[in-house]
Parts: sequence; structure tokens; C-alpha cells
Amino acid sequence: MSAPTRISLVDETSCEADVEAVLDCLRSGWLTMGPRTQALEQRLGELTGAAHALAVSSGTAGLQLALQAAGVGRGDEVVVPALAPVSAAAAVAALGAVPVLCDVADPLAPHAGPKQVEPAIGPRTRAIVAVHLHGHLADAAALRELADARGLVLVEDCSSALGAPGAGVAGALGVFSFAAGRQLAIGEGGLVVAADESHAARVRSLRSHAMTSGTWDRHRGHDPRYDVVDAGYNFRLDEPRAALALTRLERLAGEVDGRRALLARARERLRGRDDVALVFNALSVEAASPAALPLALPDGARRDRFAAALDELGVPSETLPALHAFSAYREVPGGARPQAEAAAARTCLLPLYAALGDDGMGFLLDAVEQALTRTG
Amino acid sequence: MSSGTGNPSIPLFDLRIEDDDLAAVAETIRSGRLALGERTERFEQAFAAHLGARHAIALSSCTAALHLAYLAAGVGPGDEVIVPSYTMAATASAVLQCGATPVFAEIVGRERPSLDPDDVARRITERTKAVAVVHFAGYAAAADRLAALCDERGLALIEDAAHAPDASLGGRALGTFGLAGAFSFFSNKVLSAGEGGLLCTDDDDVAAFARSRRSLGVVRGADGSRDVEGVGFNYRMDEPHAALLLSRMRRLRADVERRRELTLRYRELLAGLDGVLVPYDDADVATCSAYVMPVMLEEDRQVEVSRRLREQGIQTSILYAAVHGFTAYRERFPDVSLPRTEHAARTELTLPLFPTMTEAEQDRVVGALAEAVAA
Repeated sequence: MSAPTRISLVDETSCEADVEAVLDCLRSGWLTMGPRTQALEQRLGELTGAAHALAVSSGTAGLQLALQAAGVGRGDEVVVPALAPVSAAAAVAALGAVPVLCDVADPLAPHAGPKQVEPAIGPRTRAIVAVHLHGHLADAAALRELADARGLVLVEDCSSALGAPGAGVAGALGVFSFAAGRQLAIGEGGLVVAADESHAARVRSLRSHAMTSGTWDRHRGHDPRYDVVDAGYNFRLDEPRAALALTRLERLAGEVDGRRALLARARERLRGRDDVALVFNALSVEAASPAALPLALPDGARRDRFAAALDELGVPSETLPALHAFSAYREVPGGARPQAEAAAARTCLLPLYAALGDDGMGFLLDAVEQALTRTG
Repeated sequence: MSSGTGNPSIPLFDLRIEDDDLAAVAETIRSGRLALGERTERFEQAFAAHLGARHAIALSSCTAALHLAYLAAGVGPGDEVIVPSYTMAATASAVLQCGATPVFAEIVGRERPSLDPDDVARRITERTKAVAVVHFAGYAAAADRLAALCDERGLALIEDAAHAPDASLGGRALGTFGLAGAFSFFSNKVLSAGEGGLLCTDDDDVAAFARSRRSLGVVRGADGSRDVEGVGFNYRMDEPHAALLLSRMRRLRADVERRRELTLRYRELLAGLDGVLVPYDDADVATCSAYVMPVMLEEDRQVEVSRRLREQGIQTSILYAAVHGFTAYRERFPDVSLPRTEHAARTELTLPLFPTMTEAEQDRVVGALAEAVAA
């Protein structure tokens, strides 16, 4: 294989096993939630260690369902780190609740811990969202302790963290995403895990219009009548996507190991430079299911020059603005967030996935070094 | 088959995915691009052209399309939306999702179980923001009259065209009479892909709103900058679904034509059968999508006849219960009474209908039905 001239932001490789799994499902003629979705839920329950696992249409939908199951409704507040995917705030707002955006600890450790979350808790707070940013675990145990002490529900946003041991099971509910670029990518899809049967039952009901029986049950000869017991949604996953997820799940461990190894290699090569800093510490890397290679430049201006130089060298990258930088969330409460703003300004997120391989990572790291030289 | 459970030998619907559909999906997966790609755009363009609409926005479900349509109409807390009760619950639940109140209106009657425009007019208040009309079973409701009424009263008309992807009224495609139309690609639908939906509109602002809100409210500036405006959702359709739908659309016209033929044949075979009323007229069939074959039975026969057919290996269903009768709605709106809707809902039975159904299968269904209603 010749050396790459440009790498892709996310893994867009597929194999014939993926194709066959989806085609088998389509040939079966049964496309809506059925045996494949059930099998996927069982496998993902085992993998995450959660008592209940429910496949949904997306991570965003999953967060909305998890928060609603946690009792969040119109007028309530939910504490969300200001440095998080848009979906974390959107899921809160979709319920008519207010995301209260708290700061994060530090640009190089950009999680929100109890110290940042606690000041954002008020009389209308119902839940806390722990965000496992870029696949690195936040201290969910400490946040759970805080949530329990204050009578709140902890929901873990694991949208980028499938494969990180313990993700999703410290909180009452956890949510994973299967969108493009994720460790398990199927186009669109997600998963909610729950420890408690009552939370799981609520999610199961609301994801399919709060109907008391599904099309599959009726197809199997159960009573054709059903009741609708709440105002639900269509947040179902369907069988073709469940089939793709099931086959790709067999490669998940390899994907996560590959990402960890490539991340370790990148950190080894970039360690000790004074023009770029590694986000997260070595301990965090070991426990992570890495979703990107996050690098912090000394300031925002240099980050922008670095990203432009990288792009010219064939390496695309992304940034993660603080949520309150967006018009929709500019006015939400939560106080000053200097660390989140610094992290957002300084950080550049580079591609990281197993299919990059040693050649791809070598190309990427050469580009990083050249771009740093050009950035000055 | 004598047992009441297990796979029916004549199913309610039978979804067959053809080789060219499989090839389209296989090619998409091999491309590696599973989301936010050109196949979704191509499907949207094809569907918009099929309807004669300016814009089509592919979505994760018809419920999502209804939700975005209501939001685009400005529906929010304190507002009312007039909806039929004789529909799938999503027509009403998407109103609740906006924080607004669904106000249930009557159907014309069992012989025409479509929304009654006169009853809609009576229910308009100063809080009414929109009217949702459902094209029941793929038969055109009075969308023209409702559009005129909404225009006159300054309301938005939203068409729930989940059943009607290839149906028309006066030469105009259903879904294009109001501010927006919502379509479903759920697996038992006329055009099906498992899960999926679509919003169509001629209004540029509604289209831009739907495109942004289906993807978390993200908008891109001319310089490539990214902002988030308002509350958005993940209502995106993925690429394999778009590829499957684009492929299956090629057979939509022929499928609907076959459904219409089978429907007319059903009507002929069922004509004069005591205890069975077949809704709509023969003339309606020519422009409908013939999504399902509903018949109306005598009182107290619905579940029993369904069971008798099941014993003959024939799967039937009840298309809809009255939404206002569901627990979730009785709790919120306890005083709703819609006698015509309730009568239709407790007497309707949906017979098997799918493009690959054979005349022999149809004869068996009709024979078993005649025997069951006579029993």
C-alpha cells in the first residue's frame, strides 16, 4: 500500500460481512424492531454491564428518553458541562427544560467534576449529565455521589465512549451513540442503558409511542388491540441497522484496542514539546475508548493556524465550541466558564480510528510536526 | 393452520425487497459513507419531483416530520392544533411534544372515515394555530376544502400523508395542499424502508427550518462557520435507508397500481355482503394509494371476526383505535366525545393487502370473512 496523501476524518471502511448482515436482514422482509434488535440489546447489555439496554434511533434521542425517564420535564434544570456535544444541551431543551452549563476543570482535563457541577445546582435542578468527552471517562462515581446527596439523577453521556470499561453504569442511565465516527458506527443509532427496571420500562415505552404492544407482537398473533399510555415518540432503531451493529460489534474490541495503541503512539511522539500539549493524562488514556486525538495549542489563534496548516497537509480536524458560544444556548444560566472557553479555543481534534493503521498515524504525526513548525 | 399464534399464512402485509434494492444498499455500505451523504439528497430530489413539491427533507420518521411541521407552523405551549382522533397516535402526540393541545375533530362517517371539514370549522378558537388532516388508508380527505378554510382563518394546514405517497386530489399530490406534508416509510407502508419519514413543503423558510432542526439546529454561514439556532433534534435519515428508498421508488407507481386493482377486486367481491360495509367509493380508488383495505363490521364483531380469520391463517388488524380513547389522552382530555369516530374505530377490520397478493389469496380472505360474519 502506498503512503496516504490525505486521511479521512472518520473511518469509512466497511467489509463484506457488513454487507451480508444487512442484506440478510432485508431479504427476511422484517425491517422494524424485532429479533435482531433484541439480540443487539442483549449483547450490548452484556458488554456494558448494564441491567437493561435499549436500542434507539440516535444518541440524542437516547439522551432525551433517559432524561425524561429521570423525571426531567418542562421548567426543570439539568446541569450539563459547557464543553459537550450539542446533543447534550439539545436533549434537555427538547423536553422544555433548561440546560445549566457549568465549567470544566482545565483545558488539559476538560471534564466537569463535582467542584464545577455543584455551584450550578439550584432548586429546580433534576439531573446531572456526566459527559465522557472524546471517549475519556469523567469521574462518574464522584458525580453519582454528588447527585445522590442532592437527590438528583445522574445520566451519563457516553456518546463517544462505547468500549470504555464502566461507561454508563455509574449513573442511573447511560447513553451511547452509533453515529458516524463512533467506535460502533452504523449511520444513525443509539443505546440507552439503565440499572433500574422502572427507568428502562419508561424508555422502552416512550421510544415507541408509549404503545402497549408492538408490530412484532401483533404479527406473532397477540391481541390486535393496544393502548397508548403516554405521549411518546418514534425513537426506534430498525432491523437493518441492528444487523449492521451486531456484525460490527464483533470488531469493537479490536477497534478500541487499535485506537488506544495509536493514541499511545501519538502521545509518545508528541510528549515534551512546548508548542503543543496533550489533552488528558496517561491514566485517563488507559481507561478510555478514545474517540479522537485531542491536542491543545498555546492559544486560539495558534490553534486556528495549526488546523489550517494540517488541512493543507492532508489531515482534517475538528473543533468543539463551548455550548454557550452557539446562539441557541448563549443565554442559558451557569456562571463563568473560563476553562471551557480556553479548552474550546485551544483544542484541535484529530482523526483517530483503528483503520488509520501505522501508516496513517505516521502520516498524521508527520503532518502535526510540520504544521507545528509552520504555526510557530 | 389451526392455532391462533405463529406466522400467518396470509399476512396483513408482505414486504419484499428486490435484487436491485439489495444492490443499492450493498453499494452504499461498501462506499463506507453511512450518513449525511449524496444518496439522501438524491432521494429528496426524486421524492420532491414525484410530488411536484419544491422541497423534500428526509427524516428518521413520520412522527419527526409531523413534529417539525407543527414547530415550523409556530405551534408552541398554549396553542391548539385540530387533529382527527381516527389516526395513529403520532398525529396528536407530536402536538403534545410541542407543548400544545390537540383538539380532536370528527370524521365524516363510517362510509368515509376522513376528517370532516365542517366539524373542523366548528372547533376553531382564537388559540388554534394549525389543522392536521390525515389521508386515512391512503384515500384523499378534503384537503382542498381544509386548505381554503385554513387560508381564510389564518391557520396552517399540515397533511399527515403517512399512508399516501402516491395519491392525489383533483390532480394535485396529497401532501402538497398545506404548509407541509408528512410521509412515512415504516415497514408496513406503501413505500417502506424499516423506519423513515419525510417532510415536503413549497415554503423555503419551512424547508430551511426543517433541514436545520433535523440536525440539532445547526446552521452554516456562507463562510463555513457553524452556529446552532434554536432547539434541534437528531431526525436524520441515514444513507442506506435513502438508497433503499430511492431504489424502491422506481416501483412505487406500479405497486400502487396493483394495490388499486386488488382493492377494486375486493370491492367487487365484498359488494352486497351482509354485515360488511366497505368505506369510500370505487371512484376514490383511482387516485388513492390503497395503503390498506379497511372494512366496517356490525357492532361487537371486530375482535371475534379477527380471531375467526386468524384461525383460518389470515392476519387482520384494527387500523386505529380512537386516539381520544387511549389512556394518555383520556387522562389529559377526559370529556372528548366523537360518536362517528368511536363507531368506526370499534367496527373496523383491516384485511390483507399487498402488491404481491394473489387473486386466490384474496378469494380465500373474502370467503373466510363471509363465513366469519355469517357465524
